[in-house]
Amino acid sequence: MSKNRKPNIITSNGLTRRATLKGMAASAGLMAAPGFVRYAQAQTSEPIRIGFQCHRTGIGAAYGRWYERVTNVAARVINEAGGINGRSLEIIIEDDGTDAARGSEVLEKFANQHKVDLVYGTLFSHVVVGSAPMAGELKIPYYVVSEGYHVASGQMNRYCVQPGITDVKAQVRSMAPWIAENLGKRVTLIYPDYAFGHDHRDFFGPAIEAQGGEVIAQVPIPPTETSFTRYFPQIPSDTDVIYHVMVGPAVLTFVKEMGEFFGTGGPQLFGFIDSLEAVDLNSPGLEFLEGSHFWEGMARYVQPEMPDYEIAYREAVGLDESGASVNDPKDVSTAAHMFGCWETLYVIKRSMEACGYRGPQDRTSLIEATEAMTEMDAGPEHPQGRKVFNGKIHQVFGEQSISQVRDGKLEVVHRTSIEDGLYEPEADYTTMSF
Amino acid sequence: MRALTFYRFLLLLYCVGLSVSLCGPAFAHASDRGHVLLLPTQYYVLGGALAVAVSFLALAFLPARPLLRLAAWRVTFLRIPFDGRTGISFASFLFLSALVYAGLWGSRDPLANPLPLVVWTLFWVGLTLAHGLFGNLWGWVNPWYGLWRLLVRLGLPEKGSFRLPARLAYRPAVLMLFAFAWFELVYIAPDDPARLAIAVFIYWFFTFAGICLFGFEVWTARMEFLSVFFRLLSRLSIFEAKRECHGFRLFLCVPGGKLTSIEPLPPSGVAFLLLALSSVSFDGFMRTFLWLGTIGINPLEFPGRSAVVAQNTFGLLAMFLALGTLFALATWAGERLAGGRGWLRASGLLVWSIVPIALAYHFSHYLTALLVDGQYALASFSDPFFKGWDLFGTAIPHVQAGIVLGADSAWVIWNAQALAIIAGHVLAVILAHGIASRLYGSGRRANLSQLPMTVLMIGYTIFGLWLLSTPTAG
Repeated sequence: MSKNRKPNIITSNGLTRRATLKGMAASAGLMAAPGFVRYAQAQTSEPIRIGFQCHRTGIGAAYGRWYERVTNVAARVINEAGGINGRSLEIIIEDDGTDAARGSEVLEKFANQHKVDLVYGTLFSHVVVGSAPMAGELKIPYYVVSEGYHVASGQMNRYCVQPGITDVKAQVRSMAPWIAENLGKRVTLIYPDYAFGHDHRDFFGPAIEAQGGEVIAQVPIPPTETSFTRYFPQIPSDTDVIYHVMVGPAVLTFVKEMGEFFGTGGPQLFGFIDSLEAVDLNSPGLEFLEGSHFWEGMARYVQPEMPDYEIAYREAVGLDESGASVNDPKDVSTAAHMFGCWETLYVIKRSMEACGYRGPQDRTSLIEATEAMTEMDAGPEHPQGRKVFNGKIHQVFGEQSISQVRDGKLEVVHRTSIEDGLYEPEADYTTMSF
Repeated sequence: MRALTFYRFLLLLYCVGLSVSLCGPAFAHASDRGHVLLLPTQYYVLGGALAVAVSFLALAFLPARPLLRLAAWRVTFLRIPFDGRTGISFASFLFLSALVYAGLWGSRDPLANPLPLVVWTLFWVGLTLAHGLFGNLWGWVNPWYGLWRLLVRLGLPEKGSFRLPARLAYRPAVLMLFAFAWFELVYIAPDDPARLAIAVFIYWFFTFAGICLFGFEVWTARMEFLSVFFRLLSRLSIFEAKRECHGFRLFLCVPGGKLTSIEPLPPSGVAFLLLALSSVSFDGFMRTFLWLGTIGINPLEFPGRSAVVAQNTFGLLAMFLALGTLFALATWAGERLAGGRGWLRASGLLVWSIVPIALAYHFSHYLTALLVDGQYALASFSDPFFKGWDLFGTAIPHVQAGIVLGADSAWVIWNAQALAIIAGHVLAVILAHGIASRLYGSGRRANLSQLPMTVLMIGYTIFGLWLLSTPTAG
């Protein structure tokens, strides 16, 4: 992993670190010639510059650290394989502080100062929502990796796409069939009482009803709550499944108190790994999760029959068998989300190749090329699995993993189909003007 | 050509810097607070409060003389046969210039650019703690003294050409410290390399101009807040330096031993120390669920600094005023109990006991930042200007963020933090006792005068431990 850090970051003279080293010998003679001008041989030999709007500081920093690692590795792999249309890829990082206002500023800086071809990599929804209008105003493609439903909902604009990670609505919907069939049909929802939790409540209810199940109780928890025992009596005794999506520092307390409340019994548990992303599942307090199930965007732990391309992805990114850094076993990755960076960069590559991208004058063609994409086969470019892109709503759909905690590890017990998560499009960006 | 040279000269000046600022502590809060929530922190809080209370009681029954004798203990540690301040300060100036250059033209990534990492982590965290241990290093490594000495040799008046009104006392430094704290805690992008470089340059230039016009001693004694801050903190260190004909003699002493002969601070000096402590306290408090809930922000979807500028500006000020009020009340009540009539003098002396608490807060609050961002800082030195260099073989590191992650790390870090907070307050009680003995002489009066102060210390111990164990955003 150590060799993967920062290999593609642009240097102040416009060359990547790797390109600098590789090109030094080859171009020594040329550089010695009078009147040498960099890239004079052809405009298209200039690197493709991607502005990475990264959560380096602020509440998204733990995610940002892994998004940065995956992005740099993917860019290096793409460059080693010949780049995009024969041009190398350069990643330019700007920190947005996980702040919507700064996100918008950063976007403007990318467009006007760094002169990047496109902006990419944003995770937190509020930063995406705060930045997308600026992308539209500056007419610069904005490829986000945020999992939010805001892109597919039609609230963004023609320049904002999410082709590398599925959205929460599809994720939630795709869980319902398996839950109804395997865990039970009477579900109690426990969720934080704000937008994130409301999304799960609003998306899961109809989905489970479509499977013949029902939500028999909802237990919203105030976001500032740190003790949960008093809420558990609200769980009906005939509950088959508790669907929980708590997040924040009190998650461990939540699980511990739930274990103390139910003892060795209680309903089945189903959760979203968002609650414990980057947290060691063997942490004290999480013992009650043994045997419970989770949604995972991509498996954290190595699985018995993992495809070669997924193994190769893990090795490239530097993950050990438990999904932590090979150099730092306590640094647990954000495995369920960060693959989206890898896949998005490959979508950008394919789109650029499809439209013969030359520079900023082809930005609209780039968006149209992405919109025209449909099937994405599982493989080295899409290690998380097969996907289908819906150009109308700028959103990709994919398979999901359902994993069970066994001996303190997550084992994938089911892969949903893409169809499980599909929903009727509620927008059509392709009819919007550029 | 001349214009170009002048431009380069300006550029060089531009690259001079100052160490201001802050931030960085994204990783200060990376140690999973969730693990701490599962620890029996309430016992630590109880134990900490008891330790402070017992310390007070024990001191109440002990004669002050052995304490004062211990404080006066000195042993020669080292002779420094030269005064290297000019050379070291000049080197520091060059180093700062390079950092500012890096800030303006190096990497845009705050975790790859050496400027924010040095300023916020190595300087603001590391150097501050070093002052509490080793003494006034800033007197040697500040980036103005060397250049100023050079100009003095060339004819610049050593005492300056203007006089800073004495009645200003520490007020200018208080304002500068508040501006610094605001930039660190409230401004939306204090670790953006370019913005920080500009801030550093402006402060360096402002200070250098002030030093040239008013003289180094006067300006750094009352206006340059870093000099004031570090000088105050260094009173706690275990080294004492005394000038000799050639160089310095360094003595070893007990922590706080230098405070027994200290002069009372004027009210503005009291305000300065209290602002230093309250700003670090607010750095912790502004991330708590309690504060975010109070200002109507959902801590689980913290919108970013830009959404809380006004609220946190108010909060920073309110924290300072609250601590100031409590301190004033405690010293006033103590003075009344002891039957004294010199409240200002008493508070000006007793505020010195705040120094170990400020240092303890600094250590505890920024420990995780030091551990993780310190690694990023070392890595950035290998390629400071983002040229693809690897000067020290550390340019492509894998920063071990895991050092502050997980339940085991949380336990170790929490214990280190709690120990520091409790030890800082116990030392504060001891110092306050010594100062009170000096003020009031008789044991009974001294003990009575310390009752309100001890209650404040116990309260701040509880507050400090609560800050480190309550749920926070980020």
